Amino acid sequence: MKKEKNFYPDYLSEIIVAMLVSIEILIILALLYYPSIGRQIDFTKQFQPRPEWYFLWLFEMIGYFPGNSAFIGTVVIPVVYVLLFLLIPYIDRGKNGGLKAIIVGIFLLLTFIVLTLISVL
Amino acid sequence: MGNIFDWVDSRFGVRKPHSKFLERRIPENLNYSYCLGGMAFTYFLILAVTGLLLSIYYVPSEKEAYRSIVMITNEVMLGWLIRGLHKWSATLFIIFIMLHTIRVFVSKAYRPPKELNWMVGVLTFVVVMASGFTGYLLPWDQKAYWATEVGTSMIQTVPFIGDYLVYAVRGGTEVNGATLIRFYSFHILYLPITISLLLWAHFHIVKKQGISKWL
Repeated sequence: MKKEKNFYPDYLSEIIVAMLVSIEILIILALLYYPSIGRQIDFTKQFQPRPEWYFLWLFEMIGYFPGNSAFIGTVVIPVVYVLLFLLIPYIDRGKNGGLKAIIVGIFLLLTFIVLTLISVL
Repeated sequence: MGNIFDWVDSRFGVRKPHSKFLERRIPENLNYSYCLGGMAFTYFLILAVTGLLLSIYYVPSEKEAYRSIVMITNEVMLGWLIRGLHKWSATLFIIFIMLHTIRVFVSKAYRPPKELNWMVGVLTFVVVMASGFTGYLLPWDQKAYWATEVGTSMIQTVPFIGDYLVYAVRGGTEVNGATLIRFYSFHILYLPITISLLLWAHFHIVKKQGISKWL
């Protein structure tokens, strides 16, 4: 049994509903928590800023590589991370390909979540 | 359809070139998780619109950037809301890209012949992160300045060419007015154009290969 529908108007109307829901989520958040104005720059006083939430994992990880090994945290691991992410279709090849892809996928997601949580808590 | 549409259609050609696109068949039993990518794209569109509005008042200069943000927030009509919408769309954009990625991964929709589209998607994600990073500096306040100072100092640790790279990114030895203009330019020109081209490719491939069913 193969059921299908037309893009226009059936699927398009569903897309529009999804877009409206997205806009509603956005408006509610923007009205509840609007951004404040930060303090003016004080060039003399360095303080430890926190990056945006989606960079926290990187920020946290870099802390584990002090001194001369810093480039492992800033260059090697992020590059490997993005390459693994990018090459998932090619990791999922041959015997047990699906299993390998799932292991890599879970590893990437857990790294992000765990490091972000450590940084937040 | 209406007279105005027919007038445009007969001169410009809207209906016929798009008929194949509009009438293509879509599988019936897709679940709601197939909305996630479209929702992320909605946030991209809102980012573009609110970004255009902000650019009317924002001044990307060392002396005036902060003051223009204060003005947008306190004086410009609904400026505070446009700023809030831009900021929240950015957060939601990234959240929904992540959810969309998880959906594609779980449904194994990256498998041949869709490998290329997976990689286009990952590249888009990386460029979106870069957009977030460059946008963070633009308010030119204490947090923005030092976050960028620390963030760009990571580039310095690249072996051999680190010093040159960080100088190129900052336009100086430290984060300064040149960095602000550089980041502004990337944030509103280079990166959005790159994202638009990548998303065009992303959608083109989906259109060509069709939506894959859950495996």
